[in-house]
Amino acid sequence: MLMISPRMASGMQEKQYAPSLLSFFIYNPKFGPREGEEEKKILFYHPIEIEKNEKIRNVGLCEAIVQFTRTFCPTKPARSLHTQKNRQFFHEPEENYWMVMVVRNPMVEKPNKDGKPPTAEYQEEEIIDSVYGSVLKQCYSMYKLFNGTFIRAFEAGGVELLTQKLEKFFYRYLQTLHLQSCDLLDVFGGISFFPLDKMTYLKIQSFVNRVEESLSLVKYTAFLYNDQLIWSGLEQDDMRILYKYLTTSLFPRHTEPELAGRDSPLRPEVAGNLLHYGRFLTGPANLKDPDAKFRFPKIFVNTEDSYEELHLIVYKAMSAAVCFMVNAAVDMSREFCEQLDSLVGPQLTLLASDICEQYNINRRISGPEKEPQFKFIYFNHMNLAEKSTIHMRKTASVSLTSVHPDLMKILGDINCDFARVDEDEEIIVKAMTDYWVVGKKSDQRELYVILNQKNANLIEVNEEVKRLCATQFNNIFFLD
Amino acid sequence: MDQSQESGNMEEVRICDPSILPQCLDQTDVAYSDSDVPSENHCVNEDHRTPSDPEGLLESADPTSVEICQQQELLRDMLKLQTDEDRSLCAGASETDSGKASEDSALADSVHDDSGEFVVTMLAQGKMEEQGIGMEGALSSLSETGTPPGPPSHRNEDVTAESWRQHRKHVFVLSEAGKPIYSRYGSEEALSSTMGVMMALVSFVQSGDNIIRSVYSDEHTVVFMQRGPLVLVSVSSSRQSEQQLRNELLYVYNQIVSMLTQASITRIFEHKKNYDLRRLLAGSEKILDGLLNLVDSDPSLLLSAVHCLPLASSLRDSLSQILQKAITPNLVFSILIAKNQLLTIVQEKMVIDDARLEPADLHLLLNLIGASSAFQAGEIWTPICLPSFNPDCYFYAYISYLDPPECTVCLVLLSTDKEAFYSVAECKRRIEEAMQTQNALSSIAKAHSYSVSQVGVSDLRHFMYKPFDVPDNHRQLTQFTSPEMEAPYNSEEEQMRLLDLYRDMHGRIHSTSRPLKLIYHVAERETLLAWVTSKFELYTCFSPLVTKTSAINAITKLLRWIKKEEDRLFIRYPPKYSTTPNPSKSSKGDAH
Repeated sequence: MLMISPRMASGMQEKQYAPSLLSFFIYNPKFGPREGEEEKKILFYHPIEIEKNEKIRNVGLCEAIVQFTRTFCPTKPARSLHTQKNRQFFHEPEENYWMVMVVRNPMVEKPNKDGKPPTAEYQEEEIIDSVYGSVLKQCYSMYKLFNGTFIRAFEAGGVELLTQKLEKFFYRYLQTLHLQSCDLLDVFGGISFFPLDKMTYLKIQSFVNRVEESLSLVKYTAFLYNDQLIWSGLEQDDMRILYKYLTTSLFPRHTEPELAGRDSPLRPEVAGNLLHYGRFLTGPANLKDPDAKFRFPKIFVNTEDSYEELHLIVYKAMSAAVCFMVNAAVDMSREFCEQLDSLVGPQLTLLASDICEQYNINRRISGPEKEPQFKFIYFNHMNLAEKSTIHMRKTASVSLTSVHPDLMKILGDINCDFARVDEDEEIIVKAMTDYWVVGKKSDQRELYVILNQKNANLIEVNEEVKRLCATQFNNIFFLD
Repeated sequence: MDQSQESGNMEEVRICDPSILPQCLDQTDVAYSDSDVPSENHCVNEDHRTPSDPEGLLESADPTSVEICQQQELLRDMLKLQTDEDRSLCAGASETDSGKASEDSALADSVHDDSGEFVVTMLAQGKMEEQGIGMEGALSSLSETGTPPGPPSHRNEDVTAESWRQHRKHVFVLSEAGKPIYSRYGSEEALSSTMGVMMALVSFVQSGDNIIRSVYSDEHTVVFMQRGPLVLVSVSSSRQSEQQLRNELLYVYNQIVSMLTQASITRIFEHKKNYDLRRLLAGSEKILDGLLNLVDSDPSLLLSAVHCLPLASSLRDSLSQILQKAITPNLVFSILIAKNQLLTIVQEKMVIDDARLEPADLHLLLNLIGASSAFQAGEIWTPICLPSFNPDCYFYAYISYLDPPECTVCLVLLSTDKEAFYSVAECKRRIEEAMQTQNALSSIAKAHSYSVSQVGVSDLRHFMYKPFDVPDNHRQLTQFTSPEMEAPYNSEEEQMRLLDLYRDMHGRIHSTSRPLKLIYHVAERETLLAWVTSKFELYTCFSPLVTKTSAINAITKLLRWIKKEEDRLFIRYPPKYSTTPNPSKSSKGDAH
């Protein structure tokens, strides 16, 4: 919880606290409409230790806020409530189902003399609504990916089943929320695409086609390299949340064996197979194991219309990972997995080294990268393509940024300004620290640049950004 | 002072005889009996208030009550407050007998004056016309009937209609007991349940040892602000920053303080928690309406700076000299206004050593004058509090137009002495005389705002410039200059749009947590640049196709032009006079 190391202020210690999750709850006002039944509204409440009446009060406040804003616009109720100590975010993903996330404002604790309790100073303007609103929406998307909609669960097994599912999912998921490091990338929820030449891209496409043809059970396929997407047969919104799961949860849990080198004991499954480096990231850890279980996580896609439930098979060879999605109604067998392993393993190993080679050639051509004068984030709303040179590798827990948090928040502000109008816009600002921040929006694309040239003037900044656009955005986004 | 006038006759006497003007409040016992509430008998009942039912709002059998009950019930369900803890929930509905009792006891010492109410009485336009307030022969110019104020603009709107919801910005003022005090649109009665909900939200969050700040929806920003016993709420679809909306609410609060003083408001509610403040503010809705229109349309409130009418410095100097010569003891500010812009302001030396006049106070004063056409008749002598200067004390303002019937040039003389009406009126006579001799009125009439074309930069459409490097800066009014809005900003709509763009930039550049130095914004229909330095604050609007190079050049030219014209655009050296050998005892220090 302690973010920045305590700094010394006139001999006394000040503690800085980052934003943190105070509570998270889900309710449906229709479930307990009568007085005395309010508790029935509450489907999930974190932290669980909160006393019943307190829960009821907090839910009541949310209902009142939502109802109050309907006085002024019946169709657009409250999204957030700002108070001195915290921010509450409201989201109604399905009719009458409300999700609420309460985030404590960052705070500085100043010690008092004479043994008095320290004074807390809340920093009320630090949290950006659009960022945390997106985090809440992402919570729902992630729940839905693995559990389907609230309504389906309710229809299938009543409140009991629904609350069971909610508890099972959110109990773990909420621990993985890292509210102190949320930023503009959470708003975009984008996908990083792997830059590739046409030939290699075609190779991958034909690989996918071949596999889908041979394994007719496979309904959808997604191909990633280096945690970046190359090919996906899923709808964009489904891919976006699946991508989030893969890159922030599944892949980070499996990176160690690869880093560990070929002869390391950490790679038993590789040792058993000399033909290729393929292995399952979901399902059986080792096909040779006679007790291996062929159970895969189930995911729900296209919940708006066809509502499909699928097995998620993730298979990886070196840096290439492929997701195969199979109708959940079909039981997964040892035979199928072995067939998949023997078909995909060798091909994927080959492809992975092809891509790697190609990637290295490209890198060599563009020359050794010297620290550029700028850092940027790019996002394309049409294909969700995202690219950031501000963020170091996003790990399971934190995304490290290489710039000051205040600059990141300025990016968030500019993004909010862009969201107000549909037209193309450009905003250039000079921060108090003399950094220049440039935001460009054009035809569904947004580009944010932070320039480290403190003495530059507006015209020089403009030239610099022009150069950047010319060099960086010619052929990176092949899917455009 | 002689305060125990018979209440029946009070208004009349008060108005005509400055000698019974209210004392500083500290001395008076607060007593608010119905008998001395102006709204009972005099106030123009333009807003369909029901003075007969000033207390039991929610008990009343008016048609809104059904809805009220439903909403209240709903709320009670939602908030599940322990009823004994939270009285505000039931707002007016739970008016208790004890409340009535205290009111009764207040009746006992009823004759004591409450000065706040006097101001408000004075400001109620219809009433003044009715009574022919103007003194000194102005009576005849007022028609007996007085023009009934136009159709009560927004006050009797249907608050359930879509048109009501569509308003760009709602503002509500209520007391801590949840009693409605003011609503910009729709009557307070019809909105009492809504306001009850607001108060419930405020006190609910408070009960958790927290403070409610705002609520955001896709359409609206709702900002809550508590000041003493008053709660102010803004519901805006203008997308302004929370800070800006909060500032606007502060203007509203301060305008109320300017009429009642903060000390008096505090005391009223200490005495009786569910007092209906509308009784004291009756007739002043128009002033708050006017203020809110000003807030939306006049950038000077946004910039916290005063807009001066451009004037040849020689003319401005001679006007200042005229004011400087016409003085009397305890006179502290002499202000000359034309076309709602400042011509000149002269300040008493001693007072100004103490503190300076804040632009915010001047805005409130100007709004007060502008909102009440009654001031156009004759001379007005009214107590007014300047909240930034001292929220607990009154000045006495002498207000008179110098060019009836056009009424564009207005003289305001502020004194600390409530007895000084005659001597201050004499000052005005001398000022009028001197101005006649110099033919100043016709010179003033020729003065007007300027066109941006005078700057001579083709792509520049409009700007606002607020200097910080004025001589004697720390002692003078913050000012700004800005040309007329011209094509394409001719229509009210377009002007509002440009102001909104300025407001956006102002909000970002002055963000409390992430302030900026410069913003360059290329939008679809214009390009804007905002720039804050230690020397000035500048907002410019260019045509959309301007290049960054030419924008920079334009700004260089603009700054040069302003430098050249600064004597005409600004009051450079604020003139002073000395009226009081010993600083007046009723000025600032007194109220502590």
